[in-house]
Amino acid sequence: MPHPAGVAPGADPAGRRSRGGGIVTVKGDARGGGAWDPRAMTPSTGSGDPPTAEAAAGNAAPAVIEATALTKVYPGDVTALGGLTVRFAPGVTGLIGANGAGKSTLIKILLGLVAPTSGSATVLGHDCVAGGEQIRRVVGYMPEHDCLPPDVSATEFVTHMGRMTGLPATAARERAAEALRHVGLHEERYRQIGTYSTGMKQRVKLAQALAGDPRLLLLDEPTNGLDPAGRNAMLELIERIGLEFGISIVVASHLLGEIERICDHLVAIEGGRLLRADTIDSFTRSSQTLLIEVEEGLAALHDELIRRGLRPTAYQRSLLVPIGGDATYDTVRDTVADLGLPLSRMEQRRHQVEELFRDSDAATQPGSALGFADPSATPEAADAR
Amino acid sequence: MPADTSAGPAAAAGATAAASVIHDLGYQRYDGPRLGRVQIVRALAWHSFRSAFGLGRGAKAKILPLIALAALCLPAIVNAFAMSNGNPRVVPYDTYQPALRVLVMTVFVAVQAPELVSRDLRSRVLPLYFARPIKTIDYPLAKYLAFTAACLVMMEVPLLLLYAGSIANVHGGAAVWAQTRALIPGLLVGLMWAVVLAAISLFLASLTGRRALATGAVAIFFLMTFTLAEILIAAEGQPLGSQGPQAVQNGGPAQPVIAASSLAEKVSGLFSPFTLFDGVRMWLGGTDPADGVTNPGGFGAVYALVLVIITALCLAGLAARYRKARLS
Repeated sequence: MPHPAGVAPGADPAGRRSRGGGIVTVKGDARGGGAWDPRAMTPSTGSGDPPTAEAAAGNAAPAVIEATALTKVYPGDVTALGGLTVRFAPGVTGLIGANGAGKSTLIKILLGLVAPTSGSATVLGHDCVAGGEQIRRVVGYMPEHDCLPPDVSATEFVTHMGRMTGLPATAARERAAEALRHVGLHEERYRQIGTYSTGMKQRVKLAQALAGDPRLLLLDEPTNGLDPAGRNAMLELIERIGLEFGISIVVASHLLGEIERICDHLVAIEGGRLLRADTIDSFTRSSQTLLIEVEEGLAALHDELIRRGLRPTAYQRSLLVPIGGDATYDTVRDTVADLGLPLSRMEQRRHQVEELFRDSDAATQPGSALGFADPSATPEAADAR
Repeated sequence: MPADTSAGPAAAAGATAAASVIHDLGYQRYDGPRLGRVQIVRALAWHSFRSAFGLGRGAKAKILPLIALAALCLPAIVNAFAMSNGNPRVVPYDTYQPALRVLVMTVFVAVQAPELVSRDLRSRVLPLYFARPIKTIDYPLAKYLAFTAACLVMMEVPLLLLYAGSIANVHGGAAVWAQTRALIPGLLVGLMWAVVLAAISLFLASLTGRRALATGAVAIFFLMTFTLAEILIAAEGQPLGSQGPQAVQNGGPAQPVIAASSLAEKVSGLFSPFTLFDGVRMWLGGTDPADGVTNPGGFGAVYALVLVIITALCLAGLAARYRKARLS
């Protein structure tokens, strides 16, 4: 199956997006209901979804990270960051960029490990040149590469790392056990790390970042080297930490399609410059469509939907219908029911953010891209209408 | 895709249930005290000190340090037996058993210094340390303090055993006092060894993450330099060997030739940390054992200076090594 939407419910068993917009049960979906009007939508999602409510208030909330004209030029005139100005709101933020876009350099600067050539940045209110130690006290960092000794147990390792974050011995032991339980390694925690699978190692890396009770997690490519199931599990875990633990998270990744579904915000950088930064909803709001898949009678459904005033478009072996409000769901449901067609899938489909980037890439110069590239202008969105 | 339809909600429901279970167990914030930088460094140093003896690691990691310590303690035990049979003290405090000490300490630092630094390099765990609320310099500092302390244990525990065995077999306050006075220079010599050996071996070990390589580098450095110094001393130290008559034949007066030869011999002692230790010890008034290193006399100041410079260079190199590691 060529993965039409990137948010197939089967591929995303527990993501927040599918809780909101997976299989659409017509009335139950607050998001879908108001999604065509983003201003109306954002407050409505506040019900039982606090971080999203936070995210909705995103621009008012104090920034977790604020960078101003941040520039880093390495010896040999290699510009890793070229005047990056961006703010990260609380919640889960995706930091998107190709390899070499400057993600890791940004993280190192934010941790106060690398001094910027010019410009400034603050993390949780601490300046990252002067306040590196204060930052590192409240920030958990999960590096991209392997960083685990093979010959100690996960418990020992996470305990030691907790000590290094400043926890007293007893607290470090308790919190290591806690953190390992949260990442799902409770049973295996006394085994030597060398015997772990890649997925388990990634979890240990996450646990050591979590042990010191950080206010912010910087995760550098957390799904690196994982198989699809492992990726989903890791993303789910990150999402849960953001949602339920109330910890702000920055997830750096070069795989946009993968992390978009767990993020409240996206920050895209390219060549050390900001491509775009916004809430995930703004990225996708003008492209709400409903994907309908029936086992047979696609043509009949298509014609009937047109007759009932919708504008379906054939998309592979399914139909895409622009959502015009709650009524759209009702109309589609009634149409399918009246025709007696075997409905196999009905899914609110967000415009894949990746497509937006591809288009804004072509349309705007990096750096001047803070403004919106109008997503409705994209061929894909036009197609959907 | 019927499979999708059925699996989707089921999986979602399952995951939601799992999530709610997790939620019930709850994430707990930590409100307790947080240690400052100094205490974190102390914790790291203590952790490293323990690992220098394989504590907190598997049983295998404990074998070598324990054997090494036992080997160094052996003369003290032999001495205790000898003295309990009425003999005078047979092992001196300041030189102890030179050959044994050189060999065992070389093996100890060659195997255990990589344990402290190469492991972390190999497993690339350093970025995690640097992401903690300490300064970059704190990591090598803690490692150095820990390893110095570990070497100090290796040097001083046998001396203290020797002391304990001795005072148990002497009678009267004056005799005990004599033993104590003899012990103190020995302890200071031990301190000198520990401070210098830890600096050199940690620096060498920190150059590579490959443990075998690090062990080899440290062992080869100490054994090669020691052998070199020994050979040079032996060659230069022959009082009327081959050079003497030749120099006389060259027309030079005999007196300066002997002095020059003696200087060359003293210079030879500069080539190895162990001969430097011995030279400094004698310069500071220690006993002259007649074999081994020549008493450098006033030249001992140079020995001390060289030791200080070597130690300083190694520590600077160690610090630079980790500054570089932070940025990479």
